Amino acid sequence: MSPALNPELDLSISRIIKAPRAVVWKAWTDPASFEQWWVPAPSRCKVLEMDLRPGGALVTHFSETATSDFGPHLSACFLAVDSLKRIVFTNVMVAGWRPADVSGMPLMTAIITLKDHPQGTDYNAHVMHKNSADRNMHHDLGFHEGWGTVTAQLAAIAERRV
Amino acid sequence: MEKHPETLNGIFQALADPTRRAVIARLGKGPASISDLAKPFDMALPSFMKHIHFLEDSGLIRTHKEGRVRTCALEKKPFGAVESWLSAQRALWEARTDRLEQFVTAASSKE
Repeated sequence: MSPALNPELDLSISRIIKAPRAVVWKAWTDPASFEQWWVPAPSRCKVLEMDLRPGGALVTHFSETATSDFGPHLSACFLAVDSLKRIVFTNVMVAGWRPADVSGMPLMTAIITLKDHPQGTDYNAHVMHKNSADRNMHHDLGFHEGWGTVTAQLAAIAERRV
Repeated sequence: MEKHPETLNGIFQALADPTRRAVIARLGKGPASISDLAKPFDMALPSFMKHIHFLEDSGLIRTHKEGRVRTCALEKKPFGAVESWLSAQRALWEARTDRLEQFVTAASSKE
């Protein structure tokens, strides 16, 4: 099942990654690997739980700099895990499909799909969000986050140039 | 942005340093004083101020002094308009996917 993309609420990122599907899958599903790319340097990510099965927990902590303390970041639940093919997770629920306390949190479901490609892996992230009201509520928050993420994006490019 | 390669180079140079990136990331959450910004870093204040001046000269931040406190804020223009919440989310996932790509291509070239 692949849900239709709603351009108002969803984003879809496709990338041909020049590495075998098994390598990309391992980078996603091995906590030590995941920690190395999930957040931009110098921020750090710590995987507390990564239980790769439907209903399993995905819990990470986040530290803004190399020296600052870790605090809660992502608390999510896997909905589907199809080896080497697909990972679906959402922050609307926590482990065991328990409804999460989502007050004041942007809600999302992410569908990560991996397909074979002559050059390696066809990688797609389809991220769905709640309704526009939710979007507007988070507009200010998103605005600030936006600067951080744009910076992260620039920094990622800058890092490659250095 | 391509119309202003000099500006862009300045931004890249400013962001090429982890201390400066951390300062920008912190200011992404709102303005802060120099002393608060300097706290997480284990460096002498003059060295830290060099980074602040660098960021100010590259047009990424602006500072203003009230009494004895100098406050820094992000200068939003050079980043190009992040028009909406969704494009902020997109930027986050784009950057994340970039890092995944870098990570696995580096990993597979070692194998």
